[in-house]
This record gives sequence, C-alpha cells and structure tokens, in this order.
Amino acid sequence: MNNMINFGIDLGTTNSLIAKFTKGTVEVFQDPIRQGIEVLPSVVGFRNDRILVGAKAKEYLEKDFQSVVGRFKLFMGTTRSFKIKSLGQSKTPIELSAFVLKELKRFIHTGETPEAVVITIPASFDMTQANATKEAGQAAGFKQVVLLNEPIAASLAYANKEKDVDLKNSQWIVYDLGGGTFDVALVKIVAGELKILDNEGNNYLGGSNFDELIVKRIVVPHLERKGHFTELLTQMTSETGKYNRLWYRLLARAEAAKIALSTETSAEIEIEGVTDDEGKKLDLTIAITRSEYEVLIKEDVDSTAEMLKKILTRNSLRPQDLKFVLMVGGATYTPYVRKRIEELVGIPVNTGINPTNAIAVGAAYFAATKEINLAEKADDISTQPGTLKIRCTYNRASMEREEWFAARVDGELKDLFYHITREDGAYDSGLKKLTARIDEDLPLREDTYNLFTFTVYDSHNNPVVTDFNSIQIAQGKYSVAGQMLPADLSLVLDLDDDGSKMDTKLLTLFTKNSVLPATAKKTVQVTKALIRGSDDEVRIIVVEGPTENHFTANKKVGLLGISGKQLQRDLLRGREIDLTFDLSESRDLTVHVYVNPSGPEFSGSYSPTFRDVPVELLAEEVRMLDGEIEKEKAEAMANENFEVAEKLEKLSPLVQELEGEAMLLRLDNVTADRYKLEDRKRKIAQELDQLTSGKRVDRLRNEYQAAKTEVTGIVTESGNDHERRQLNEIIAQEHTFLNSTSPRKLQGAIDQLHQVRFQILRRTPAFLQGWFQHLCGKRETLNDQLQAKVLIEAGSRHLVAEDYDKLLEVNMRLTSLLPEKEKVTPEMQPFTRITAQ
Amino acid sequence: MEMRLQIPKSIITAINQLYELEQKLKKHGDPNNLQRNVEKMKDAFAEEGLMMGASGGAQYRIGLAYEDPMGQSFKETRTDLEASISGSGTENLVVVEVIKPIIRAVVRDSQGTFSKVIQQGIVIVESQKEKGL
Repeated sequence: MNNMINFGIDLGTTNSLIAKFTKGTVEVFQDPIRQGIEVLPSVVGFRNDRILVGAKAKEYLEKDFQSVVGRFKLFMGTTRSFKIKSLGQSKTPIELSAFVLKELKRFIHTGETPEAVVITIPASFDMTQANATKEAGQAAGFKQVVLLNEPIAASLAYANKEKDVDLKNSQWIVYDLGGGTFDVALVKIVAGELKILDNEGNNYLGGSNFDELIVKRIVVPHLERKGHFTELLTQMTSETGKYNRLWYRLLARAEAAKIALSTETSAEIEIEGVTDDEGKKLDLTIAITRSEYEVLIKEDVDSTAEMLKKILTRNSLRPQDLKFVLMVGGATYTPYVRKRIEELVGIPVNTGINPTNAIAVGAAYFAATKEINLAEKADDISTQPGTLKIRCTYNRASMEREEWFAARVDGELKDLFYHITREDGAYDSGLKKLTARIDEDLPLREDTYNLFTFTVYDSHNNPVVTDFNSIQIAQGKYSVAGQMLPADLSLVLDLDDDGSKMDTKLLTLFTKNSVLPATAKKTVQVTKALIRGSDDEVRIIVVEGPTENHFTANKKVGLLGISGKQLQRDLLRGREIDLTFDLSESRDLTVHVYVNPSGPEFSGSYSPTFRDVPVELLAEEVRMLDGEIEKEKAEAMANENFEVAEKLEKLSPLVQELEGEAMLLRLDNVTADRYKLEDRKRKIAQELDQLTSGKRVDRLRNEYQAAKTEVTGIVTESGNDHERRQLNEIIAQEHTFLNSTSPRKLQGAIDQLHQVRFQILRRTPAFLQGWFQHLCGKRETLNDQLQAKVLIEAGSRHLVAEDYDKLLEVNMRLTSLLPEKEKVTPEMQPFTRITAQ
Repeated sequence: MEMRLQIPKSIITAINQLYELEQKLKKHGDPNNLQRNVEKMKDAFAEEGLMMGASGGAQYRIGLAYEDPMGQSFKETRTDLEASISGSGTENLVVVEVIKPIIRAVVRDSQGTFSKVIQQGIVIVESQKEKGL
C-alpha cells in the first residue's frame, strides 16, 4: 500500500489550491461548482448563519468587511484577530485558514479524506508563522502536516517537469507575482538539497493592481475627455458614489483587456450606456495597445526588479551566477513582466511551469516523497457515523421558484455541519451548523428535476455517513405527472402541387415521449413558386405517427395553407421559410410561419379536437389514393407479384366506397363525418404503404446502384479530392442504408450522390453547353420572353468566349424562367436540381 | 458519478459574443431583423448533439445555451453567478448589469436530460433600495 502523503496544498494569501500525486503525475483538483477552476479564493465570510468560503465570500469581501475576511495569511502567527460582527466574536488567522483548508477537502473528487498533507508557506515566514500554519492544518483535521517553502515547491514543479535539466550545483531565483502579493527568493542546491538563501517581497503588489491602473489611468481620463464629470474617479471608488457600479464594470473589462494583451498587441474596452453629469449618453470603445499598458505597469514591475537586485547585491552574486529566474504567479503571464525582468536583471527568465498551480503541484511532488507518520497526531475528535437519523419533509413537486426544505435530526450533533448543493452547480448553501431542526429555502430551476446533495460534515470537514443524502424536487411541467407525447409529430416535406409525389419525406418535429409543452423550429425551402394574388397555395402539413412511415399512412393533425392572396410579393421556389411549432401541454399545436427575409408572418393553430380536414382536400386525397391503388395493382400484376396484387384488390372496394361518401359530404358539413372518413382513408393508405414499401425500397436500391456507378465515373474523370472524399464517405456508409427497409435513408444517400454529381457537372463545359442548348429549345415556354431573349443572347456570347462561369449564371436564370410544370419533367430535373441547391 | 464536461474555450467565446450581439440589438434597435439570425445561432448551439462525449462507456449529447440573469435576485447561495456588489447595501441584492451570461450545458444521456452550469454569469449586483440611483 502506498504510504506516502501525496496531497499538497498551496495555502495562498489570495488563492489556495490542492493537488494530489498519483502514479507519477499530479492532478490539481477543481472547484466542484465552478467548472474548470482550480483556485479557491482565500476568503471566509459569516453571513446569515452560514459560513462561506471562497468565491462567494470574496464577493462580499469589500462590502461586508465586518463579517467577511481575506488576506489573513499575512497575519499568521501574530496576535491579530478579526472581529466578526455577525458572530459577535473574533476569529484568529489560524481559525480562518482552517476554514480554507477544510473547504479544499471538498475539491477532492476521489472520495478520499487525507489525514496527512503538505502545506506551503512563503519564504519570509518565521518559526511562529510556520507553526501557526501547522496549527491551522491540524485544526482542519489533518493529523500530520508537513510544511514546505513556496519557492522550493515551485522549483520542484519545474524540476519534475523538465527532468533532463541538470540543476546540480546551480542556483536560481523564484519570482512569484500573484494576484495581490509579490515574493522573490534565491534558491540553491546545497548538498543535494534545495535551500532558500534569501528572500524579499511586497505584500500589496499583484495582478489586481494592474487592472486598477488600466481603469484609473486610461479609462477614466478617456471618459472625462468625452463627457462632463465631476470627480469621476472618486464617484466611482466610493461606495456611496454615483458611479460605483461603473467601477466594478470597468474592472471586469480591464481584467479582460489585460488578459487579451498577454497574447495580442492591442485590446479594446467597450463602454456602453454611461450617462455623464449633464445627462449625455456615452458609448465608447477604448483601444489600449500593449505598449500603453506597459508604460502603465512599468513602475510596479521595476520595483520588483529592484527587490531582485537587492538579493543579488546582498549575496554578492552576478547575473551570470544564476541559472534563471523562474516565473510563478498569474501576473507573470504578462509578457512585459517577463521581458522587463530579463532586461533589468540580465538573467534569462524561465516560463517552463504553469504559474497558477506550480506551487500546489510542487507540494504534491514533495508529498509523494514523504511518508505518512501519524505519530504527529492531533487530538482525534471522533464522530459517530451512522448514528444520525435524519427525517425530512419537503414537496417533491412544486410550481414555485423556491421550495421549503425542513428536517429533524436525532443523534449527537456536536461539532457537525451540513452543506446542501444543487447538482447543476447553481446553488450552494454554504457550511451550516447541524441542529436538531434545520430548514432551508431551496431555489428551483424551472421545468426540470432539481437534484440536491445533502452532506453532513464533522468539524474537520470530513463527510459523515448518514441515512439521507439527496433531495429531489420536480419543478413546473414535471409536476403534472409528466405529459408525454404519444407519437411522433412530423412535418410533410417536398409536397408537390398535387401532393402526390411518391417519396415525400417526413421531418420529425417532436419525437414520441417528448415532455410537453415543447417548441420546435425548422427552416424549409418552398418547393414551388407562389405568385402574389394567385389562388395557389403552399401547404404546411403536420402528421402524427412514426416518422419512418409514408406520410399518407400517418394521421394528419393539421394543415396551414398560405395562398398567393396573402402575399405581398411573389414567393419563389427555393425560398426559405421559418416555421415555429408550439405544442402546448394539452397538445394544441400552433404554427408560426415566417417568410424570409422581410416577408409577412402567418400563424395558425391546430388542436386534436379541431382537426382541420378540409372537405375538398379529403375528396381529392381519396381520389388520389384510388388512382394509386390501381397503379400499384397493375404494376404488381405485371411483375407477377400475385400475392400483393390480391391484397391490393381487396383495398379497391373500400376506397371506392370512401370516394362516394366523400363526394356526398357537403363543404359546410359540421358533423364528425369528415374525421371518420379521414380515419378510414388513413387506414387504407397505411395498408397500401405496407404492401408497397418493399417495392419502393427495391426500386431505390437499384436507383442508388445506378447513381453510384454514374457518379463514380464522373468523380474519377473530373472530380477533385474533396468530391472523391465525399463519394468515399457515402460508399463507406452503404451498409447502413442498403440493408435498411427505410426508403428515406436510401433516398437521402441518392440525393447526396446527386449533389456530388452536380457539383462536378456545373463546372464542366460540355454539360453547361448541353444545358444551355436544352434551354434554348424551350424558349417559347419561358415565362418572361423579353428577359429570355436577353439571356439567350448573352449566353451565346459567353459560349463563344468560353466564359463558363457566366454561362452557368445565365443557365440558372433561364431555368428559373421555366414554367413550374416544365421544371419537374424528368428531362429537366437534372438541371432544376442544380438551381434548387 | 460526477461528470466533468470539457467544452472548448472557443465555443464559450462564440456564445459570449452571441450574447453581446443580442444585447446590442436590443439596445440599438434591429432594423434589419438580425435577431432572427441570432436566434438561429442560439438554436444551433442549443441543438442536442452539438457535442458528444462518453463517460464510463455511456454516451451523452450536449447542447449549450445561455441565460441572461438581468434583474434576478442575488444572494450568497447563488453559485451560478459571480457578482461584484456595487453600492453599500448587501441585502436584497438584484442583478443590475450583466458582463457575461450564465452558460449551461444541457446534457442528454440514457438516464435523461440534466443541465450543468458551464460558465458562471459575471454580474454587478446592487441592493434593491439603491437600484435606480
């Protein structure tokens, strides 16, 4: 068993981190709530009976300084204590540090509760301060605490990363410029051991000073030039000042600009909606160049160089005696800091390690070499796991934004705490004392299951096993026992003029078992032109039933027609329309249609109780169905498929009967007859669909093979690498659609092949010529003769000049002049499909 | 149990930009109806399957969406926001400015759908009494 400490903690003035050594590598643990963030701000707050540690406490640091404390590390080992107003008592730096250490335990996602740990301390700490840190570790429940100097930790992180570098008999500088403190130390290997020979520092210098400088020296003067302000800076930095809000906004923007300037040569700060003293609104963008920023921070950076030089002087060292300056701390990301130090001190800087977590990483490497020795045990405060009984009451389902949670706790409660967090990371109760009765208002996220974790901790923040650990509350729609959609709802696509096209595709809008209410958005292209003022209609049809079905086999839920009369301008074929479908909890379906780009908007509602079945459409569909059955029958007979023909034969009388009834149905019939007829029609169509789907699949398989042979030929002859790749991808997928019984999948593959084909053809001179000549042959039928004449003349010129790009353009425009009926003829389709792409 | 989602920074940046775009349209008007394009881009990000991943053999699909916390109340238990408190009061806090929105991942796996905060909203909050000063 591994008996090494392995856990290392960087207990910093502004931020703390925890890392663990496992099998040769170090993992820096992340905040369980703040995704991807490794640092815990070293701030502790006591607000409204909860203990807040880290980011949440930091937010209140300035505004509630009587109850929230930071930077206490600087007072470790002194007699200074912090009065906490909300508690009515004082906390020592040791106690406060213990809270931070305990909170870091929550970062460990592996479920371990380390009893031994390495904690880093600044080189400047004396014995008393070091002992105080040790005490804080013990107060946090670590039975063994080993201390390590921060510059050594950083050096270890470097040495472990660059294993080839020989550091023997050398010395170097560790330059640590963090968020709010600066430390510099001289490190040397003496008799095989890392030793700190000297150090310097400034407790009030760091990256946050740079943000403030940007605001104070660049942004504020700029604002003052553009508007009229009296004492803008004072009004910004004073909490009762009129521009206090602006101060925080600008600090956030300045920080972003600072980070951008680490990689870019200039950055922008956008300021919008600032009103000056005279009521004038200012919207500004301030550009900051890297050199401006460098001038700004020069003084601070130079002061750190001075401290470094002092160390050199004191130790009678020349720059060449030192191997490098190892850069640590977030502020050393700034290129100028690196450049300037190198320039002023004359020692190469080393940026080989991650400046943010290097100290924690180094501490973990060190921990991996230290054996656990629990002789140094602190007093063991034992808890009685399993003896706690928790009984709770709360609403499992709620329509409120907040739900009250209450529990009764029986058992030994002394020195126990609890913590509630929400699974999505949006709520954290903070650490609270466990009492016999607890209650908490839990915020709920709307329309979802809210899962909370309830954990009890002992005084060292080690989890205590209880019989209760999770709270589940359903908010909103789920509370209505989860309304589910019983079948797919799909949109009918590619409907031709008469709705008779064989392989009309269905586009899923809502899948079966979706939770209601729901919304779906789709953008589709209209498949035929709609002339303004005409009686023509584009129909949007929604059907209910499996999406794999043929559309006639599914139940028609609704239809919305847009007629030419409703349009302000012509709707061209291929134009995109946006459709939004809202499905309410009671399954009322509303569709909103928007015609791009500036067209009118239409909307219509369908609901199952008012199924929209226009009588004339019904009659037409029944007639169509009859025709289709006859056609299929003849085909089956011709193919000697007598079994299918016989089954189809049985459908004929049913549909003819239906046809008769539909004819008799009056347009204004208000009874449910039309729905009954519609249902019967649907059943017949379903049967027809089943009987013939095998045939369609066969036909499509053949079509696919033919298309594949043709396209392979074209690609081999004139395709580029991209098209070759596209073709290979389609072929590689063959097994998924060739063995499938879904005509849709096959049709999709064929369409893809055609796309590749047209991509190539449209740049092939012979094809463009053929297309043009074909169109010339149709000259008389073209919709606008005058335009056609001009286009054909231009086309002839391009042909002679061999300007094929322009010829393509002419072809496209001529094709758009073809009458609708002409466009769908088999001979024209290869061309019209190009224009539709 | 715990799922760690790694979302590429470039995608987060794109979503933040989209949010800013939407804010600018709200503020300066939208004569060219760009909001429609913004909505489409939002839909594209929210589409389940924008990204896919696997954890312990189980497949999951991720969509991303942002949430504008403007005007919402804030207290110390809200961990989906990172706030700067403006003014002197620290009670009845309300979000008065949003610098970055909250970004959530909507994750769908065999167990169902759940959401997770991917980016905390960066906001400025103010005590309600002082709001509007």
